[in-house]
Amino acid sequence: MTVMINKGVKKRLITLNINDRDYHVIIDDRDTLLYILRDKLMLTGTKDACGVGECGACTVLVDGKAVLSCLMLAIDGQGKKITTVEGLAKDGKLTDLQKAFIQYGAIQCGYCTSGMLMSVVGLFNTNPNPTKNDIKKAIEGNICRCTGYNKIIDAIEAVKDKRLKDKNDR
Amino acid sequence: MIGRRIPRIDGPIKATGEAKYTTDIYLPDMLVAKMLRSPLPHAKILNIDISKAKKIPGVKAIITGRDAWDIRHGFVETPRYPADQYCLANDRVRYIGEEIACVAAVDEDTAYEAIDAIKVTYEELPAVFDIFEAIKPDAPDIHEFRLPDLIEPFKNVGGRCANSFGDMEAAFKKAYLIREDRFETQLRTHCYLEPQATVAYYDVNGKLNVWTSSMGVFRKRMHLSKTLHMPLSKIRIHKSWVGGAFGGKIDLFSHEFCTSLLSIKTGKPVKYVAERDEIFSYFRHGQPMVIDLKTLVAKDGTILGQIVRCYNNCGAYRGSGVVCIFLCWGFIILPYRIPALDYIGYSIYTNNPVRAPQRGHGAPQVHFAVESQLDIIAEELGIDPIEIRLKNARQKGDILPNGDTIKNAGLIECIEEIEKKTDFRKKYSKNLKEVKQYKNNTRFRRGIGIGVSSYFTGTLIYPHNSAAIIKFNDDGTVQCYTGALDIGQGAETILAQIIAEELSIDIKDIEIIAGDTDNTPVDIGSWISGLTYVTGNAVKKASEDARKQLLSSAAIYLNVHMDSLDMRDRIIFVKDNPERSITFSKVLENHIRDHKGDPIIGKGFFRGLKDAEHGPSLKNAKGAWSDSYAFDAQVAEVEVDMHTGKIKVIKATTAHDCGFPINPLLVEGQIDGQVSMAAGQALSEEIIMEKGITLNPSFLEYKLPIATEMVENDYIDIITEEYKKDHHFHTKEVGEGYVSGILAAIANAVYNATGVRAKRLPIRIINNLS
Repeated sequence: MTVMINKGVKKRLITLNINDRDYHVIIDDRDTLLYILRDKLMLTGTKDACGVGECGACTVLVDGKAVLSCLMLAIDGQGKKITTVEGLAKDGKLTDLQKAFIQYGAIQCGYCTSGMLMSVVGLFNTNPNPTKNDIKKAIEGNICRCTGYNKIIDAIEAVKDKRLKDKNDR
Repeated sequence: MIGRRIPRIDGPIKATGEAKYTTDIYLPDMLVAKMLRSPLPHAKILNIDISKAKKIPGVKAIITGRDAWDIRHGFVETPRYPADQYCLANDRVRYIGEEIACVAAVDEDTAYEAIDAIKVTYEELPAVFDIFEAIKPDAPDIHEFRLPDLIEPFKNVGGRCANSFGDMEAAFKKAYLIREDRFETQLRTHCYLEPQATVAYYDVNGKLNVWTSSMGVFRKRMHLSKTLHMPLSKIRIHKSWVGGAFGGKIDLFSHEFCTSLLSIKTGKPVKYVAERDEIFSYFRHGQPMVIDLKTLVAKDGTILGQIVRCYNNCGAYRGSGVVCIFLCWGFIILPYRIPALDYIGYSIYTNNPVRAPQRGHGAPQVHFAVESQLDIIAEELGIDPIEIRLKNARQKGDILPNGDTIKNAGLIECIEEIEKKTDFRKKYSKNLKEVKQYKNNTRFRRGIGIGVSSYFTGTLIYPHNSAAIIKFNDDGTVQCYTGALDIGQGAETILAQIIAEELSIDIKDIEIIAGDTDNTPVDIGSWISGLTYVTGNAVKKASEDARKQLLSSAAIYLNVHMDSLDMRDRIIFVKDNPERSITFSKVLENHIRDHKGDPIIGKGFFRGLKDAEHGPSLKNAKGAWSDSYAFDAQVAEVEVDMHTGKIKVIKATTAHDCGFPINPLLVEGQIDGQVSMAAGQALSEEIIMEKGITLNPSFLEYKLPIATEMVENDYIDIITEEYKKDHHFHTKEVGEGYVSGILAAIANAVYNATGVRAKRLPIRIINNLS
């Protein structure tokens, strides 16, 4: 629905389902999903570090797949299930992945963390038993300047091992 | 709590996205600021016409150099090195990207529209970009400034640091080998993931509230107060989490000044976030350096003397260049005993963007040169790289030429242990033999190399000191007020561990309230490798103060001497009879009742170099520099693809003497990050500039390490310090010393694998293969 025209730019009202909640938001057709998340909905957990798809800090899940929200138009998010870092913890409880990131020292400045976590969730959604190489490949688009990636990969491997063990124990 | 692998206390808020960084601050009715930058590397500004831009609907304010005061700022401001840069260009621009005007508008599009509508008339001046061109007599003058004591016929010298000692003539007479090489390090950059960002809000009471991505709030406040011509008390820098800095966020930046002034002019909050290509093209990077290194050695490899000339390209303003050339002197004299030295460092103005500290600040440059040359010398003398380093290594009790004492040095142990752990000698000599006899024709060749470095632990520079306050809630839980700013290294976690240790309480019972110029005491900041040492000791003393008060009060109620008491988990008990006890909560209650309302507040403060009036001289390197020095030896193992020239670091081992590791998990994190940054500097990273223009202003083109290039790390902890109660500690730095040894080790390993000696970074072997 077009609601107004300003300087020749169409504005319209759309509905985005983010973290299992419907948000009705007025957008400009050119708005990226990242811009809407941060500037309009104040979901600032998703970070903007380059804005051109080169650093991975803005990674979110769209229908379970890791997507760079700076390269996706908000208008294309209609009818899809969007998950941001704020949607990971349930009922105030952190996920095993979030806990492992903390425990293994995978977080330093934290600015890449949200995107990194979302890339890993996306990986586990498609591949519950990734090799170390699969893990590196899955996060190669997520730049981290603090950790050298060592402890991030340790944390992800620990989560994988624990999940597989829990599954086998069942 | 001390010495344990405690997960960082800011982990949960960072893992959930709850942590607010400056970029995440959104205030009602906030304006967006954008910057107009110079398109020319050197020009006079004849006129700035903002009349058209002002009329654009949605534009709220535009400022130019004319709106600012005639106040310059600098990384250092001393009589020798007066401030040389305006926040907004006045009548002249000296590099492409220099800030000319700043616009505040209702949204980004409008702000950019206004930027495009500003008309600037320039008179172009000749520009110079290369340091050796810039010092020539016919080079254009970038500044009027002349160093009064400059003896060389050089132009554009922004700083000079000279120091010599020992008997160089004798060294020449005794020398068996004299080796002279030129090494060059590239222009590299920090790549902090959070862009430079500032939010400023001048409120109705006349208080300027600032959130800015920085490395220390008190330093930023000092700079803003000076440049805005505003009392310190009218400026408050709030805490926000910092998405990485690595040295690149300590200077005052134009946008910090501009957002503040725009907020003062509009009465509205103003936010500026730098675009990534702006950061790559116009913001401050590390210091590229040319080092001429002449080393005199005896037949057995003992260093007799060194003659060193460092040429630093500091860009269009002084930045931290003059500090860098002082530090280079320091890194020359540190890990090895140098009986005679002739050192001159020059910081040279060019029409390039200004340069800042970057992790190591001179150390990677110097150690790359020294360690590479040491390997060359060792080979020429027929001794191995381990032996030559052991022979010259500094040891406990050594007195540096400036008078500083090496109180503890684990360098010998570092070298010996790393040799054992990596089987260095065996691997090194096998590879070298194969390379020399051209026996190895395989496509993938392995090599091993070592590098040694040393780093200082804090020095005196504004604000010189840290203080801390410990207060209690009624239930005995603790709140600590500290001006420290956690930039990712884990400052808050370390401070909480120190409090937990001193008060024997759980880390969960401690809350750190940090990094706010109005609400926390002064702090030195997360730089000069001094936070854990200076702020750590301040917090330790505040905890001790609180502990003493608690114990002496408890002693009254338990009717024993305080020496017979101990505490754990917020309970004070008699050591011999733990049943006799009293809770913190009860002690506090009684204390308030019996001491006219005193709730027990612990106070602590610390300043390094207690006997020194000020920091060392940037002119001649004289004077105390630091209280303690960290040492390390690092080994790199590389694999080189002889067809493509691609170099891979297979493994890095770091043997480190960082004193007492308060949190080994965080120490490892620091080492991992530094090894990765060094691998990037060694192999791929370089800002490529042509005539002042950055040709690769993006993460895609500036190749920093990604996950598939992760380097496996191994650590050897050489502990030379203890953590003692009731005693201030000399725990050493770990944040930037370990980027250098490994950088040199990688270069040495590439030589070991291929026979190609890198004298310029990043290492490129393909042009050097026969």
